[in-house]
Amino acid sequence: MPLDTSTTYPLTKLRLDGRRWNELRLLQAQISTNPASSGSSYLAMGNTAIICSVHGPAEGRRGDASGGSAGSSGAVVEVDVNVAGFAGVDRKRRAGGSDKQSSRIGTILRSAFQSHLHTYLYPHSTISIHVSVLSADGSLLAAAVNACTLALVDAGIPMPGLLCACTAGMSGSASTPRDPTNDFLDPLLDLSLPEEQELPFLTVGTTTTVPVGEAAMIHDDEDEMKVSMLTMDSKVHCSYVETMLAVGIDGCKQIREILEGVIKKSARR
Amino acid sequence: MSTQRQATSASQTPHISPAELSYLYTSLSLPQNPIRPDGRSATQFRPLTAETDLLPGTNGSARVGFADGTQAIVGVKAEVERTVVGAAASYTLAEAEGAGDLDGEGGEGSGSAAGAGAATAGHGSWVQMSIEIPGFRDDDALPVFLAEMMREPLVESVSSGSKGASGDGEKEMEGGLKGRLVINRRWHWRLYIDVLLLSQPLSYPLPLLSLTTHLALLATKLPKLKSKGEEDPFFDDDWNAAEYLYPRASSSFPKFGGSAAGGVPPPVQHVRPPVTLLVIAVGDNVIFDPNREEIAVADTVLAISVTRDGGSEGGLKLLSIRTIDPPSRLTQPGVPNSENVATLGATAGAAGSEEQQPAAATAVLNPVTGEEEVPGVWRPRRGGVKRRTVAKMVKLVLEKGGVGEEVLEGLESVEVG
Repeated sequence: MPLDTSTTYPLTKLRLDGRRWNELRLLQAQISTNPASSGSSYLAMGNTAIICSVHGPAEGRRGDASGGSAGSSGAVVEVDVNVAGFAGVDRKRRAGGSDKQSSRIGTILRSAFQSHLHTYLYPHSTISIHVSVLSADGSLLAAAVNACTLALVDAGIPMPGLLCACTAGMSGSASTPRDPTNDFLDPLLDLSLPEEQELPFLTVGTTTTVPVGEAAMIHDDEDEMKVSMLTMDSKVHCSYVETMLAVGIDGCKQIREILEGVIKKSARR
Repeated sequence: MSTQRQATSASQTPHISPAELSYLYTSLSLPQNPIRPDGRSATQFRPLTAETDLLPGTNGSARVGFADGTQAIVGVKAEVERTVVGAAASYTLAEAEGAGDLDGEGGEGSGSAAGAGAATAGHGSWVQMSIEIPGFRDDDALPVFLAEMMREPLVESVSSGSKGASGDGEKEMEGGLKGRLVINRRWHWRLYIDVLLLSQPLSYPLPLLSLTTHLALLATKLPKLKSKGEEDPFFDDDWNAAEYLYPRASSSFPKFGGSAAGGVPPPVQHVRPPVTLLVIAVGDNVIFDPNREEIAVADTVLAISVTRDGGSEGGLKLLSIRTIDPPSRLTQPGVPNSENVATLGATAGAAGSEEQQPAAATAVLNPVTGEEEVPGVWRPRRGGVKRRTVAKMVKLVLEKGGVGEEVLEGLESVEVG
């Protein structure tokens, strides 16, 4: 069955799900989905669906040994990721607590948001984020970052700007140096699970600082965008990284517009 | 965190003072009409929202949200699995073959019948249930206990009337859920029921999880089997042709047609997954769908599982009763004035000779617990249920037009599929 992207893509220039190289999947999001939490969101990127809820900032747990001293200068971000058993194609059985993938996503999310949020405003407190993956179809980390951003906005926790993430990959294995005269590999935006499993990809998260005060007058027309998160698990020749990054950052820009739309729509209600 | 994890009882007790507990207990145990903190009547449930079939990647799924904001999502996945023929089953097969060799045609027939009987029995372990509660590991006591409490009635619910006169749905559901999972003698379905609680449990999550699981199972579809008999199973690719796990009555069946004629409305489905209700007893009152504060003062907490009887008259059948360790056991007791060192001098000095009289009058024998109590002073419950109380609770659930019927009818009105 010729279903892998690396063989069909050069012929058709269309991906497995019919997208072109620079197209995102359908992104749908809702905000304030769970009234029992401080902030919550639902986000679906294609067939990846995530529910995120934020509790806090609240006093850290009493029983915690590190609860007293930790976070004396700012809030501590806790992330709990749970990939539901029915999320994948096959039901995954897990022994006991959590698996490697979810704890890894949790660690990346925690370090990303710990440095992104204005935690210094809430000393001695905890912001706990709970991420439930309802259905997993690639770009899990990126979707989780976007869902967390929405939930944190819903919870009203101050941050310099929206943290948006996106994946970018190459349409082949890209293990040899790039040949500028015969360049047949295309970068791909927003990978789905089958693509993710066979192609090299990276996840990039960007943020724009909303200009305040004097800065607003100086940078008026310039949209300043910063990469605040970048992870890559697969192997690729370094000459391709720049292309992938450029495409990923462009995808983040598109996602930011969609997320801003979601936030504005929920504010209007 | 560690104490929370170990809590096997109904839920973590809220931080309520003994005086508040006593007040709550008194108002809930008022004879005939208890006054509940949220103004509900004793049998009234909290409002909820429900939807089904929200996850395309599962065989069936449902989401239920209670008005207090707690939500649960259930996804059901089914996998085909090879049946490991146990010792008993293989014995039956050997027996059957032996009989066939000896008696020829007649023995062959009886032998295959016995084999089919063993095959349709199914096994309880084919249904697997796991519960995710935020803040708990999934091998903590609470999730494991809850999962087992919900799996048990689900697996054990076998239609009682299957031998005698039965509805059309019942023939397909012979042997209950276990029987439905059998494909043929060598293959069967394995059902994974994954329950996600999306927020910290504000009250004991059992009713929420049970209702969500019920709806998810109703929405569950299995692909239509194309192979016949003992062939290796293969299925119809068309998802529209898939069959419900719990078979539906034909669509021509008039929905609630009987209610207009004044009779009992016939149930839309004869066979339904069970529903587990949380019932508490406070004093002589029986209270349904308790919130966290109400559980904290309960004398008894019971989880009662019921389902439709399967008969056309739509009666209810009791599947299981479990007592749940009431958390009131762990609450702090109040200290009556007569025993309080701080107030002892004051009461003695003020009352003088009269002091003995009111003290004797205040200690009242609680008819339910059989303990002496001073009104207005909280005394933790020590457990133990009177048979009369259990009987009353069960009767309230099962009786015609009772709470169980009301809940099942409410769930039937949720659009499934």
